[in-house]
Amino acid sequence: MGKVFVVFKREFLERVRSRWFLFTTILGPVFMGLVTVLPIAIAAKTKSSQQLSNVVIIDATSTDLGSRVSRALTSTTPNAPVPRVRVVKAEEVPAEEQRATQEVVANQALGYLVLDANTTAGKDLRYAGRNATALIDVESIERMVRQSLLSQRLEHEGIDPGRVASLTNVRLDTKTEKITDRGREGTGGLASFFFGYGIAFVLYIMIAIYGQSILRGVLEEKTSRVAEVVISSVKPDALLAGKILGAGTVALTQVTAWLGMSFLMYQARGPLFQLFGAAPTAAAALKIPTVAPLVGLALFLFFVLGFLLYAALFGAVGSMVSNQEDVQQAATPVMLLLVASFIFMQPILLNPSGTLAKTMSWLPFSAPLMMPLRMAIIAIKWYEIVGALLSVAIGCWLAIWVSARIYRVGLLMYGKRPSFRELARWIRMA
Amino acid sequence: MSDPAVRISNVTKRFAETVAVNDLSLVIPRGSVYGLLGPNGAGKTTTIRMMLDIIVPDTGSISILGRPHLEAGVSSRVGYLPEERGLYKKMQVRRVLRFLAELKGVTAKDADRRINSWLERLGLVTSEKDWGNAKVDELSRGMQQKVQFIGTLLHEPELVILDEPFSGLDPINAQALKDTVVELKNEGKTVIFSTHLMDNAERLCDSVCIIAHGRKVLDGEVTAVKEQRGSRNIALAVDGPARDGLLTVLQDRRLVARADDQNRFFEIELANGADPQELLKQVVATGARVRRFELISPSLHQIFLDRVGATGVEEGMSGHG
Repeated sequence: MGKVFVVFKREFLERVRSRWFLFTTILGPVFMGLVTVLPIAIAAKTKSSQQLSNVVIIDATSTDLGSRVSRALTSTTPNAPVPRVRVVKAEEVPAEEQRATQEVVANQALGYLVLDANTTAGKDLRYAGRNATALIDVESIERMVRQSLLSQRLEHEGIDPGRVASLTNVRLDTKTEKITDRGREGTGGLASFFFGYGIAFVLYIMIAIYGQSILRGVLEEKTSRVAEVVISSVKPDALLAGKILGAGTVALTQVTAWLGMSFLMYQARGPLFQLFGAAPTAAAALKIPTVAPLVGLALFLFFVLGFLLYAALFGAVGSMVSNQEDVQQAATPVMLLLVASFIFMQPILLNPSGTLAKTMSWLPFSAPLMMPLRMAIIAIKWYEIVGALLSVAIGCWLAIWVSARIYRVGLLMYGKRPSFRELARWIRMA
Repeated sequence: MSDPAVRISNVTKRFAETVAVNDLSLVIPRGSVYGLLGPNGAGKTTTIRMMLDIIVPDTGSISILGRPHLEAGVSSRVGYLPEERGLYKKMQVRRVLRFLAELKGVTAKDADRRINSWLERLGLVTSEKDWGNAKVDELSRGMQQKVQFIGTLLHEPELVILDEPFSGLDPINAQALKDTVVELKNEGKTVIFSTHLMDNAERLCDSVCIIAHGRKVLDGEVTAVKEQRGSRNIALAVDGPARDGLLTVLQDRRLVARADDQNRFFEIELANGADPQELLKQVVATGARVRRFELISPSLHQIFLDRVGATGVEEGMSGHG
């Protein structure tokens, strides 16, 4: 179709020529790179508090547990003040806690730790302090108390303290690996999680940005009245098709540019990480999950079909309204579909094989976001993927059919926004 | 060339409650300047939009240049200037024009050549400034209208349809438009335009059709339409202070059936059997200085008022351009 191509060409060129396109294409990967590197860089710098040992230990255990914990804490943060151990009787604990609280308020200590009969029994310990919400601090303290208690018990059983030290010195670091139907997938558990999230997120952003830009484009043709000249030369269906394809190709171009730049940044990850002060080992650990060609094709199809579906709907919305003020309300139903899919990404990430996840990866409007997400984190049967693709394809066809009919009538209608009943009549009459 | 430029056969179009066009049939000959006349809301724009397949008629058929109007390729032979004019505001003028030309199947190369010659011809490219490289919204209203007009003609259409082309034009642009219409006719093109300005139509059109309330009131060649009505009208132009006496004479129903008072000019329809000579005598007797007294065919304006009714005029729906 020659005329579709003419419309397509205009849409594509006018969008690509805009400064906004250049800006986002270049800044997109820079932003994404920062999002990837910064957390790792920050995590590398995030250790437990340098003041961890600056605490009051209220020891009501009538054992040497308090001094053992004190020693352990001192060895982790040698530059901080040594813990103040106060050996007290059980009934004196509340008074001591009050005193310790005031010391914390007066910034003489970071917090206080209460060790009592419950602690020696292996049940609980209490910590209160300014850093009580810092999980990493609390975890360190907990680990040290646990270790101290363990060695105390072992020594009580008559084992040589030197042996105890070597026996209890256990430092474990979990290396995770994902297993799918194809077997072991390598050590990219977290990576594939981010990859799936990334794909869904990019699709969401692209649909939201370019869908709304199609809407604005249609509205501009209406308000500037250029629409009537144009549709005296080209059928509304061809005009809508050209617009959607044009904007879609721009979106694909942008994603491709992003992928290319991301790849280059990945190649240069070592120096980049160093630049931000992260350990080179962290750079080495960052791996892009490999994507099988068929999976890649499926992802591409989800992207294209999902885009077409929403783009058609946004185009129809643009033809329904005559002024900027009505856009927000008229676009709400379409935005709701999109945002709902996005909001449910979180619960689905946590439970990717649950009923919610399955249902949403079959519904046409949410499948383009949900299926790639699930495909990245768990293994999905091929027929589920094909089924979801079919469902999106049918939804896409329906959306285009309805949108084209609304568009045909709406393009020359000015005045108030149509009600749903009027819309139904437009669809019947077109 | 025997096919007419446009043949509309028994076309009806209803919108929700109203009948916009009711069983309309028209034949517009090739190579003519054709006026579609009628008050606002008569169905002129709807008729034009149906010719261009922007609106689908409920019943009836339309053929353009001898082909069914839905046929592929027909729209490339037609140029259209809608009443509500507009262009892509943020686009460069040359790019907008190239886009419009390419939609009509003109190659980019041909389009660029024609765009340059048109821009020069209408004064949008001068030694100081090339407006073709400016964005549309940097242009003045008048310049935008010129650009839009270029867009209508770039693909050298055989049939040019202009919807209310004179609305919003200043006298200079209106004159340029009239010149172009005549030029198109001289090149053998067909020009259809709608208007409610009867004077423009009377001067420019070979044939006219008057429609009101979606129905055809009359159509045909302007000369034929006027001759049918006979030379029972008198053009009277006067100077002098004797307006009161003159008005008394013109109210004499034995002599004058109706008079259109335009202050210093009157178009007078004689009463049945009245003698123009008698009227002239009476007018002179009032002391008015007669500058013109001529037996004429009724003007389109008068015919329009006769057939459509004066109500439209009172509502400002007809007037002189």
